[in-house]
Amino acid sequence: MSGIVCAIRGGPDSQPTIAKAVSLAQERDLPVYFLYVVDLNFLVQTSSARLHTISKEMDQMGEFILLTAQAKAEARGVTAHGVVRHGQVRDQIVALCREVEAGYVVLGRPKGQNQERNVFTHDHLDAFAQSISRETGAQVVFAGGAE
Amino acid sequence: MIGKRLSLWVLGLIVLAAGVIGVSRPRPAAAQGEAPTRVIVGRVLDRQNQPVEGVRVTALTGGNSEVIAETLTQPDGSFVLVMSPLIMDSLRLEFERAHFETAGLALVEEDLERLRAQGTVTLPSLTLVRRIGPAFWIATLLFIAMLGLIASGQLHNTLAALVGMAVVYGVSYLGEPLWEELYIFDFARSLQFVDWNVIFLIMGMMIVIAVVERTGIFQWLAFRSYKLSGGRMWLLLTILMIVTGVASAFLDNVTTMLLMTPITIQIAIALNINPLALLMPEVFASNVVGISTLVGTPTNILIGSFGGITFNDFLINLTPGVVLAMVGLVLYSLYVYRKEYRSAGEMSPLLLEKLEERGRITQPDHLRKAGWVGLGMIVLFVFGENIHLLPSVTAMMGATALMVWIRPDIEEMIEAVDWTTLVFFISLFIVVGAVQEVGLISVIAEWIGRLVGDNLPLAMLIIIWLGAVLSTVVANIPFTAAMLPVIGFLTATIPGAESKVLFYCLSVGSAMGGNGSLIGASANLVTAGIAERAGYPITYVYFLKKGFPALLITVGLATVWLFVRF
Repeated sequence: MSGIVCAIRGGPDSQPTIAKAVSLAQERDLPVYFLYVVDLNFLVQTSSARLHTISKEMDQMGEFILLTAQAKAEARGVTAHGVVRHGQVRDQIVALCREVEAGYVVLGRPKGQNQERNVFTHDHLDAFAQSISRETGAQVVFAGGAE
Repeated sequence: MIGKRLSLWVLGLIVLAAGVIGVSRPRPAAAQGEAPTRVIVGRVLDRQNQPVEGVRVTALTGGNSEVIAETLTQPDGSFVLVMSPLIMDSLRLEFERAHFETAGLALVEEDLERLRAQGTVTLPSLTLVRRIGPAFWIATLLFIAMLGLIASGQLHNTLAALVGMAVVYGVSYLGEPLWEELYIFDFARSLQFVDWNVIFLIMGMMIVIAVVERTGIFQWLAFRSYKLSGGRMWLLLTILMIVTGVASAFLDNVTTMLLMTPITIQIAIALNINPLALLMPEVFASNVVGISTLVGTPTNILIGSFGGITFNDFLINLTPGVVLAMVGLVLYSLYVYRKEYRSAGEMSPLLLEKLEERGRITQPDHLRKAGWVGLGMIVLFVFGENIHLLPSVTAMMGATALMVWIRPDIEEMIEAVDWTTLVFFISLFIVVGAVQEVGLISVIAEWIGRLVGDNLPLAMLIIIWLGAVLSTVVANIPFTAAMLPVIGFLTATIPGAESKVLFYCLSVGSAMGGNGSLIGASANLVTAGIAERAGYPITYVYFLKKGFPALLITVGLATVWLFVRF
């Protein structure tokens, strides 16, 4: 096992997740791979013709958000990488875990999510964590104490 | 592949439809050449004194059993009935049209004498009374259902409008054989309600925008705003709002916010402040300043085309009000987000370097060419009215010139046109045309007309504030499209309204009202979508709390301006 995957969105709700991933990385002496997944579903209703342009902008915004997380990790002596991907959050977490042979996946509990459509809701967390572990062999850690 | 096929299919449909309109456009009744003798001329109006087109005028004689002449009224409601050289003992005219009560008129002996002497009889204008039948209720319910589907998000806007259009045709063509009262209108008539000036103007602007948005100009402007402000938050906010507003005045608001939001979020994160403290004022500015030009918002494009309001008219009559509203908006934003602005910190060198990297023009050559073409288009928008140059023609010429000059991938450019939006507009025009045809718009116009009487200030207040409040819950494009004939009627009937002030009131209400709620404008939704993906969700309640006071301030100030101006 060679790393920790930490999927974030940015914003205040991601700070505990970043902190958890960094402290875990310090404990285990592992690098962190911060993951930002670009999801443009919200544009389908309003501006689907602009997907090409906005996709590039969202990539850059994701990189910037990851950069702030990387800076926090590096300030505590942890090696951190930023990875921007497109697609379903779950699929991208699994894919990155396999690529970096992740030993741990750190997830947060963002507020205000759509209960039916987001994998990070309470109803789906356990099933999601189990499927990640099953498919990648990584241990899923939730920021805020729940595991 | 499917996208390209759809694009070509829609383009073909537009050309075909334009052709059908050209073919089916009514010709003058009187043939060219020899002047007809023994003619009856007249005009048919509805109760709002609007001309009624397509009324079948029939001349009957012999105890009302023998048809001796017939014709249809023209778009201006006029008709010319050419009579046969028969000696008539009596003559009766019948006026028949779907959705109106049939009317009759017997000619007096004096008129008959004139006809016998090969003269012309000019009748006084005839008023037809609306008939509220099953078609009226079906079209009305369909329109309400379409608005409901759009507002609730149950169906995509375009699909909701397409369903409405399909049901209108279905009821007309499949229902009429069963019960003629179900007839709404036929295909050729429905296409007359489609405003092709609007469709081509939007299409042309979309192509220009597709070129401009890839040049990196928005990112450059946002970063320059930060540099120019020197870290002073009040100045940064003001510059960002002005940049967003001016961009929205020439490009559509959704594109402006799509491109401004990600870079603004990055600037805010780098300054360690909540990005919503910059994003909310930006989206408010986008919704407010967009109305200062003809091409700034889809609602202005609709209003301009229907009301014959030019690019200059919008600039002259609305821009001062918009500037006033912007001053109020900047002060309001500075007050509401004062705590966030105070907490702003120094930008770290790493993030500053990254922002500088983002804030570069990526296609300087394309930007330069787009700038020249854009300038030419503005000149034509401003001065084109002197040579009756339609804005849609200017937009299409500009888009084509730009494509010829920069030679982009033409497939990519055609795909950049938002065909979904164009289909939405075409379908919407037809559904609104259906409620216009069956008389719903006349009923609303008559009701508002009775409410306001001859009182222009009252009419102005009602249009502005009704538009603003309704725009917070109803999509403002269908609302505006439906209100246009109503405003047209009020403009024709209320003394002093001939200045077209009520059209400006509709523009202010429908666009600035978009600030009142999250669903009030598409630009709000895309901003919220991007902000949520950066971890800063904008909830409906949050938007309402910040946006509704902004609506009251901006609409209030714009109202003051309109009263001063008119």
